Amino acid sequence: METLLKNDLVTPLQDYYNPNVLLNLGPSHPAMHGTLRVMCRVNGETIEDASCEIGYLHRAIEKLAENKTYHQWIVYTDRLNYCSALANNVGYVMAVEDVMGITITERCMYIRMICLELARVIDHIICVAINALDLGAMTVFWMLYTWREQAYTIIEGMCGMRLTTSYARIGGMAYDLPENFQAEMKIFLEGLPKTLDDVEKLLSANRIWVDRTKDVGILTAEECLGFGLTGPVARASGVDQDLRRDRPYYNYSDLDWDVVVATKGDVYDRYLVRMEEMRQSLKILKQLCAKLPGGSIWTEDSRVLIPKKKDVYEKMEVLIHHFKIFMEGIDVPPGESYRAIEAPNGELGYYVVSRGGPKAWRIKIKSPSLALFQSYEHSIKGAKIPDAIAILGSLNIIAGELDR
Amino acid sequence: MSRLLLKNREAQDGINGHLKQNYAQQGRYDEDANQEGILWLVSSGDLPEVVRKLREDSSLAMDRLADLSAYDNVDGVDGAGRFVFFIHLYSSKFHSRMRIKCLIAEGEEVPTLTGIWPMANWLERECFDMFGIRFRGHPDMRRILMDERFEGHPLRKEYGLEARQQFSDSLPIRMVTENEVSK
Repeated sequence: METLLKNDLVTPLQDYYNPNVLLNLGPSHPAMHGTLRVMCRVNGETIEDASCEIGYLHRAIEKLAENKTYHQWIVYTDRLNYCSALANNVGYVMAVEDVMGITITERCMYIRMICLELARVIDHIICVAINALDLGAMTVFWMLYTWREQAYTIIEGMCGMRLTTSYARIGGMAYDLPENFQAEMKIFLEGLPKTLDDVEKLLSANRIWVDRTKDVGILTAEECLGFGLTGPVARASGVDQDLRRDRPYYNYSDLDWDVVVATKGDVYDRYLVRMEEMRQSLKILKQLCAKLPGGSIWTEDSRVLIPKKKDVYEKMEVLIHHFKIFMEGIDVPPGESYRAIEAPNGELGYYVVSRGGPKAWRIKIKSPSLALFQSYEHSIKGAKIPDAIAILGSLNIIAGELDR
Repeated sequence: MSRLLLKNREAQDGINGHLKQNYAQQGRYDEDANQEGILWLVSSGDLPEVVRKLREDSSLAMDRLADLSAYDNVDGVDGAGRFVFFIHLYSSKFHSRMRIKCLIAEGEEVPTLTGIWPMANWLERECFDMFGIRFRGHPDMRRILMDERFEGHPLRKEYGLEARQQFSDSLPIRMVTENEVSK
């Protein structure tokens, strides 16, 4: 194959009959979502063999984790799955709180759950909208992105940032919810379901959409288990698994919602699962907003509690404490924890190993996208080139999380 | 707040007890901050066999590999061995977790788990890329995130944060076909 690459004598006509034509997709191509690269060996339009290459967006985030304090590293979690930064923030601080044995307040827990579900909705919006856009359905993209914009307006109100939120803190949240939160949320919760209905009317029975997605990129339940796939892709293949139900963290067990499972595991089923999961997330969000308790968003634990600005200016002990938290960092006792949450793309885990002190000894991120992209190599074999684009969109691989 | 539900806690405790009683004779047994079991293997050579047993054992049913990597043990806190190799396992039946750890000497080869879970392929490549731990029997043991011309292993503690290696051109992708694997 390498000789083929180098062989300049191959004429176009021979190429036409050659079952060993190499086709490079990516790393910078609009349909390749970020910096993903696949080399395909095609015979006509059929992909006979494929090989993925990753690492184009590797920014040494795990190395930085060992060289920054626990607090400083929160900003790097934004840059993992940048489509659902809120979920990454929450997952990370949960892992550190586990090692420190910190219990957060009721209000903080509710705000974090709102973050997790809001992140899921915007991530699924991106996945469905971009997948449809890649296959030529531009209307769906604009309709859904209106609501993504509304979600980002809410997020901007919550933490002042849209994409890189850095909202969670170890032991609390950076800010409390804004005054207009419930009003903005109401618009979102009432408006999005109508658009979801419209999108389903446009796509679910659409001849072009159905032809392009049904029976494309099928992954069986056994394959999902072998490749370690989790989240909506696994659930679309009939793997009835959701960490929010199976191993509930926070308050998920007290809420009324369902795990969405499909059977076939093709692109169409993944689309259906994501659409229904958005509805379930909205249902959860509605309950959370109704039950939202008052009180403090910060734990009383003085090891992590960031002092109030007024006290920092007026009391010397508080000033010193403030200085120590930000200049030296939080002292985390030796220990370790693997904390996994059901992120929009599947199981997102943070394995934090502490040997004492303000910096982690090792943080390993279990990224759902890595498993998804590894299965991609396998699932496009035998597919056509346009199908490869449809499959990639349905897996929703985010390069930031893939390469870390 | 992030504490487990009672039924999950009971399942996890059952798994921990079973692990401690039946698997920890030769090795060490620890629990982490969430009271999840950590099984220390004496020798990395037993890894595939132990993993298979854990998967077949009906009271554990550890059927899903959640993650696989290593961390540097250059200061020797966890014992004699340059690295600590770890894998996270998840049981879909009991919704419980466990971890296997093993001390690895510099240059020691770990048997591959690709025969059990295809997912281990890229994770092991990443582990090799970041720490230089090689996997015996791996079908395609080369770097994954870094360039193939890269020297050193960046997650080792001696590799500096500011160290840079730049390459002005890129290498063509190498495709591994079945014929090449058998060679």
